[in-house]
Amino acid sequence: MLDGLTRRQFIEISACAMAAPAIGWPNEAAAAAAPAGGTLVVAAAAGSPRHFNSAVQSGIATGMPAAQIFASPLRFDDQWRPHPYLAERWELAPDGMSLTLHLVKGATFHDGQPITSADVAYSILTIRDNHPFKTMFAPVKQVDTPDPATAVIRLTQPHPALLICMSPPLCPILPKHVFDNGHDIKTNPANLAPIGSGPFKFVEYKPGDHITLEKYDRFFLPGRPKLDRIIYRIISDPSAIVVGLEQGETNFLPFAVSTRDLTRLAKKKTLGVTAQGYQGFGPINWLAFNLLRKPLDDKRVRKAIYHAIDRDFITKKLLLGFAQEATGPIVPSSPFYSAAVDPYAFDLKRANALLDEAGLKPDARGKRFSLTVDYLPIGGPEEQQNIAEYLKPQLKKVGIDVQVRSAPDFPTWAQRISNWDFDMTMDQVFNWGDPVVGVHRTYLTSNIRKGVIWSNTQNYRNPQVDQLLDEAAVTLDEQKRKALYAQFQKIVVDDAPIAWINIVPYNSVYDRRLGNLPTTIWGALSPMDDLYWKESHA
Amino acid sequence: MTLLDAGSGWQATGPAGMPEPPGSDEIAAGSAAARPLREAWRMFAGNPLALVGLAILAGIVVMTIIGPYLYPVDPFDIVGAPLTPPGEGGLLFGSDYLGRDMLAGIIHGGRASLTVGGFAAIITMAIGISIGALAGFYGGWADRVLMRVTEFFQVLPPLLLAMVLVTLFSPTLTTITLSIGVVSWTNVARLTRAEFLKIRSLDYVLAGRAVGARDRRLIWRVILPNALPPLVVAAALSVGVAILFESGLSFLGLGDPNVMSWGMMIGQNKQVMLDAWWPTTIPGAAIFAAVLSISLIGDGLNDALNPRLRRR
Repeated sequence: MLDGLTRRQFIEISACAMAAPAIGWPNEAAAAAAPAGGTLVVAAAAGSPRHFNSAVQSGIATGMPAAQIFASPLRFDDQWRPHPYLAERWELAPDGMSLTLHLVKGATFHDGQPITSADVAYSILTIRDNHPFKTMFAPVKQVDTPDPATAVIRLTQPHPALLICMSPPLCPILPKHVFDNGHDIKTNPANLAPIGSGPFKFVEYKPGDHITLEKYDRFFLPGRPKLDRIIYRIISDPSAIVVGLEQGETNFLPFAVSTRDLTRLAKKKTLGVTAQGYQGFGPINWLAFNLLRKPLDDKRVRKAIYHAIDRDFITKKLLLGFAQEATGPIVPSSPFYSAAVDPYAFDLKRANALLDEAGLKPDARGKRFSLTVDYLPIGGPEEQQNIAEYLKPQLKKVGIDVQVRSAPDFPTWAQRISNWDFDMTMDQVFNWGDPVVGVHRTYLTSNIRKGVIWSNTQNYRNPQVDQLLDEAAVTLDEQKRKALYAQFQKIVVDDAPIAWINIVPYNSVYDRRLGNLPTTIWGALSPMDDLYWKESHA
Repeated sequence: MTLLDAGSGWQATGPAGMPEPPGSDEIAAGSAAARPLREAWRMFAGNPLALVGLAILAGIVVMTIIGPYLYPVDPFDIVGAPLTPPGEGGLLFGSDYLGRDMLAGIIHGGRASLTVGGFAAIITMAIGISIGALAGFYGGWADRVLMRVTEFFQVLPPLLLAMVLVTLFSPTLTTITLSIGVVSWTNVARLTRAEFLKIRSLDYVLAGRAVGARDRRLIWRVILPNALPPLVVAAALSVGVAILFESGLSFLGLGDPNVMSWGMMIGQNKQVMLDAWWPTTIPGAAIFAAVLSISLIGDGLNDALNPRLRRR
C-alpha cells in the first residue's frame, strides 16, 4: 500500500538523533533541567524525500523531518501508551463511534496563526482521502468543530486503531490556511516549503544534500525544543555513512540495518547502538508465495519450503545474531502477537515427506520442480539478496531448483510482484503500529488488487481469515481483539501464504553525548523536542 | 580468374606479409603462406612474456574445462560456515558470505567468465569488422553514415550503456554477452576502417579491381587478410576487456545470479570486504591472471605480426 518511492525511502533511510539509556516517558524533570542549544546532524540514508507533507506521503524519508515540522494530536511512549501532544485531553465515546480532542491553548503554526479545530478537521480529512494507508481513517465520517479548541471525530464503525492513528508519523496537523490553497494536495507547493505546527520549523532543503530545520521559539510546550537546529544530511553510500559517524560528522543514524556496519560502529567508544525505537514499525523480512502458480497453490508445498529454510542459520550466521526469527504475520513486539502457532521447525525430512505427499516426486537427478525467487533490490543485500541466494542451495536439498531473478531497480521489482508475475519473492513489510494499518492489507481477500504493491499480492483467500480480520477491525475490547488476532495468526501460519523469516534488526547509532534519544515506538519518526546535548560539542 | 589468383598469391608475400586467403587453388601460394605464419610463431616464441601469458591462459582454460570433473562440488552449495578462512574446514580457498566453497566458485566461475569473454569478443569483432570494412571500402556517404553511428556509440560510456541494456533485458549470460559485444565494437570498427582506407588504394587491390573482381571478393579475400594483423591483436585484447566488463557488471549487481562467475563472486562478497579478504581477493586474482595473460599474448602477437619489427 505504500507507493514505490515511499517504500524505497523507507528502507533506505536512516537519520537522526537518539540517546543513551532506555528512557521512560515524558521525563519532564530531566528535560527541564537539560541544557539547551546545539545542532544535531542526522545521517539520512534514505535519499531525498519527495516533499515534507506526511499527510499524503508515507515513508521514512518524509516522515523523519515531518515529525519535527508537524505536531500530531497524540504521541506515544515506548510502552504503546498515548500521551497528550497537540491535544491536551481526549475522550473516546463509550460506543466507540467518536473521539473528542481538546486542543492545547495558545498553540501556533510557524507563521504565528493559531492552531484550531478547523485545522485538525482539515488534516484528518486530507489524510483520509490521500494517504496510502487507506485503512487508517477509512471509518471517519466527519470531523465536527463545535469550538476552535475542540474537534470531534465521528466514525461509521468502531475503530480500535484510531488512537494509534493520532500519532506523529500518521497524523500531522497542517495549517488549513496554507495548504487549502486550491492546489492538488499531492503536488501542493506548500509541501516543499511547509509551515508546520511542530517543535522545529523548516529552513532549507537541498535534494540529495541536506535538510535544515530550526527551533521554533513559540512551540506550545514550554522549554522545548532543546536543540537549536537539526540537519538531515542525505548520504546514500553505506561506507560514507559509517565513516561519517566514526568521524563525528554526523551524530545519529536511525534505521541502520547492516549487521556488519553495526558490529564495526559498536566498537567505537563515542558511539552507542540501540534497538529501541522501532516497535511501532514492526518490520518483517519474509518469503512470499504466489498462490496462483502451481505447485505453490498446494499448502503442503508451501509448508515444505518453510520447513526447508533454516531460520537459525539465517539469523545467527547470515545476520550475525542481530535478528530475531519471525514466526508469523505479527511482530513479537506488538501487543497482538501470539506465540500459539504451530512453528515451522527446520526439518528437511518433513519437507521431503510433504513434497512426496503432494505428488511431486523427484526425477532421476533428484529434481522435483523449478521455481524463481525475486528479491527487493534496495536497502542493502543482507536481508534480501543474501537470503534469496541462500534459498538456491538450500531448497535444492529437497529437490527444488531455484532460479534467482534479480531486478535492477525498485520499479522493476514492484512491477513484477504487483502484477503477480512471480513464483516467490523476498520482501520486507511493516506492521505499522496496529494490525489494521499494516497487517490486514497482506491477507484480506478484498485487498487482492492487481498493480498495487504491498497489497495481497500472494492472492491468498481464506473466508475465515477475512471474517476474523473484519471483526478485529471493529472490536474495541482489547482482549477480544487479541483473541481474534491469535486465531487469525494460527490459521494464517498454518496456511503459510508467506514464509516469515526474520524481524528486521533496525538499530540506531548515536553519539553518546546525546540525551533523551527517541526511543518511543515511533523512534526517529516522533518529535525530538526533548533531545539534548549533555555537554557542549564543537 | 587466373590473373586474380596470381594477384592474391603475390599478395600473400606482399607488403603486409600475410597468409594466403583461403580458397586459392594455387599450390605455390599455399606454401608461401606457411612461411609468414612460421615466422610469426618464431617471433612469438622468442618473446618470453608472451609465452608466460600463453601458459597462464592455457592453464586457466584447462582448469575451467576439466576442473568441474576433477572437483565436482556445486559452487552454489553451502558447504560450511560462512567466511571460513582458506585452508580451514577442508576448504582450500575458504568459504564466502553464505558458506559456499570458494574453490568450486573459482573453477566453475572461470567457465562463465571465459565464455562471456570469448563470445563477447566474437560479437565485438563481427560488428566492428563489418562496419569498419564497409565504411573503409566504400567511403563516401556509406562511410559518413557508418562513422556517425560509430561515433554515436563511442560517446556513450560503454559500461553505462551495457548496464542499461542488461537492465532492459534482465541479466542472463546471453544478454550480458550481447550487451558487452554491442558496446565495445567501436574501436575495432575504426581500426578496420583505417586499415581498409590504407589498403584499398594499394596496387594489388587496384589490380584485382582491374580484372573485375567483385566488391565482396575484394573486401573479404583481398583487403581483409592484409588488414588482419592489428585486428588479431585487437581481438585478443577485447577478450580481456570483455572479461573485465562482465566482472564490472556483476560487481554492480547486474550479473546473472544463477551462473557463478568471478565477477559475481566479487560483487556478492564485497559486502564482507572489511571482514574477510579472501572472498574478494581470490576471484580478483583469477581475473587479474586471466586478463594479464591475454594482454601478454596480445602484445606478443602485436610484435610477431608487425613486419617492421620482424625485419629488425
